[in-house]
Amino acid sequence: MALSKQELKSIENALINLVKEEVGPLIKVQSGTKFESYEDKANSVDLVTQVDQKVESIVKNYLLEKYPNFKFIGEESYVKGVTKITNEPTFIVDPIDGTTNFIHGFPYSCISLGLSENQKPVVGVVFNPHLNQLFHGSKGNGAFLNGTPIEVAKRPLVLQKALVGFESGSERDDSGNFDIKAKTCKNLLSQDGALIHGVRSLGSAAMNICYVATGMMDCYWEGGPWCWDVCAGWCILNETGGLIVNGNPNNWDVSLNGRCYFAIRGGSNEKEQHEFIKSFWSHVAGDLKYEYKD
Amino acid sequence: MPINYKEIEEFLCKLALEKVGPIIKSKSGTLQEYDLKTGSRRVDIVTAIDKQVEAIIWETVKKEYPDFKFIGEESYIKNVTKITDEPTFIIDPIDGTTNFVHDFPFSCTSMGLTVDKIPVVGVIFNPHINLLVSASKSNGVRVNGKEFDYKDKLKSMGPLVLNKSIVALQPGSAREGSNFICKMKTYQNLLDCEKGFIHGFRNLGSSAMTLAYIALGKLDSYWDGGCYCWDVCAGWCILNETGGTIVGANDQEWQIGVNNRTYLAVRGCFESTSGEQKKYIKDFWSCVDGKLSYE
Repeated sequence: MALSKQELKSIENALINLVKEEVGPLIKVQSGTKFESYEDKANSVDLVTQVDQKVESIVKNYLLEKYPNFKFIGEESYVKGVTKITNEPTFIVDPIDGTTNFIHGFPYSCISLGLSENQKPVVGVVFNPHLNQLFHGSKGNGAFLNGTPIEVAKRPLVLQKALVGFESGSERDDSGNFDIKAKTCKNLLSQDGALIHGVRSLGSAAMNICYVATGMMDCYWEGGPWCWDVCAGWCILNETGGLIVNGNPNNWDVSLNGRCYFAIRGGSNEKEQHEFIKSFWSHVAGDLKYEYKD
Repeated sequence: MPINYKEIEEFLCKLALEKVGPIIKSKSGTLQEYDLKTGSRRVDIVTAIDKQVEAIIWETVKKEYPDFKFIGEESYIKNVTKITDEPTFIIDPIDGTTNFVHDFPFSCTSMGLTVDKIPVVGVIFNPHINLLVSASKSNGVRVNGKEFDYKDKLKSMGPLVLNKSIVALQPGSAREGSNFICKMKTYQNLLDCEKGFIHGFRNLGSSAMTLAYIALGKLDSYWDGGCYCWDVCAGWCILNETGGTIVGANDQEWQIGVNNRTYLAVRGCFESTSGEQKKYIKDFWSCVDGKLSYE
């Protein structure tokens, strides 16, 4: 049986408490001070720190004690090919999203705590302690920024006037994805392409999605993140009238761990959103390819 | 009588906090009507609020400093307005106009003063995240009025090396021609694992905020072309006060003026004599594909 609106709100509140009291202060104090301590993960651009692991263990212990029947998936404890998202209520957690920002002290690292049920995001809490921005929401209960309901102002959604979240990611070899991203970026900006208002890059998938949820950016196109990068933000975005489809053209569906995402803001109607999506896809320079993990 | 830079810094801070900031904050994201400044082939947005804010700044500084020159983005006249050796306020009423129109929280006011064409006072205020960064020559930097210990910050940072750095990049409003192509190719070189392999790039859409962030040690460098003196003047002074430097975007452009139109801004290093900064600049230039060139 699905969790009720009241139960979801109660979980949302518990997560807010956890990030504000326990985890946020830890991240804020340590940001920009761990330059020498990162490990080499996939390559030297994908940085993991001890703090990342510490935060995840605090979050995991807290949540599994309070919700012993729920599953838990975290970036640091994820096992390739083994960890699966099921229909069970599952916490999906990125202890520090924007690890590169965290290491460099660029103020866009955050904690991203989500809950999925039936493989859909139903609770999301994203906290950026540097700018003191707390985004939160749960299914059917609306979304909030620091306690104030997020209302996206109604205005036209048109690709040429769009501000687009765009990241190059850490994969920089000649596997094809890097090249497709570079070409897509050029197509979007170019006089002969979409001639959009601009791109913005904050270096955190969770923060980018939250900024789309508030309408500060019109959309965010991405390949490479994992479920923990997007789960919390996705729920918040849904609650503000936005949506996520596949980053690869002509694919309206994307699963939580689909790894190619295209997030579009609310403040517009479904028809406008669909036109916008199709128009954006026409500038995507090919299909991004990732290993799918679900 | 010598000019008291600190006094001017305080004057501009007050103006930013009390008059300009509140307008930027309350009007951000509320405008549906705006012009494309330089015709339909560019994405350069200007709003009525830019002009209004510039008029307020001009009136206020004129009253206090009637003998100083004034250059503002909105009142600038191509080929007529020149920077002289006189004390000159160089002002961007709202830097990051696209952000301003979209309510992306990185629009700010940027107010600088040059003397002998050198930036000597800089004040940048972003009311959305309530960040005021100010400096004046030989007086250091303040963040929201508090002294900023840049040496302590630099000490805590890692080495300044291209392949460990975060670089701010902005495609800008010109979207065709050799400059656009040069930018796109250079971005790819910087990211490429066989070339620059930087940790990442960030794009905030505001030159002034980007320079402030470099001075505060949140970013390592910023490479751009197409900006004007008002985009960089305030940030340049702030950056200088933290050991940072600004050179040209193209190879060997070690000495440039405030209106050079292409810039490479690089943060300071804890060991300022180590040569790290110079090496960083050279390594960076080697990733520049072609040449950025503006009138």
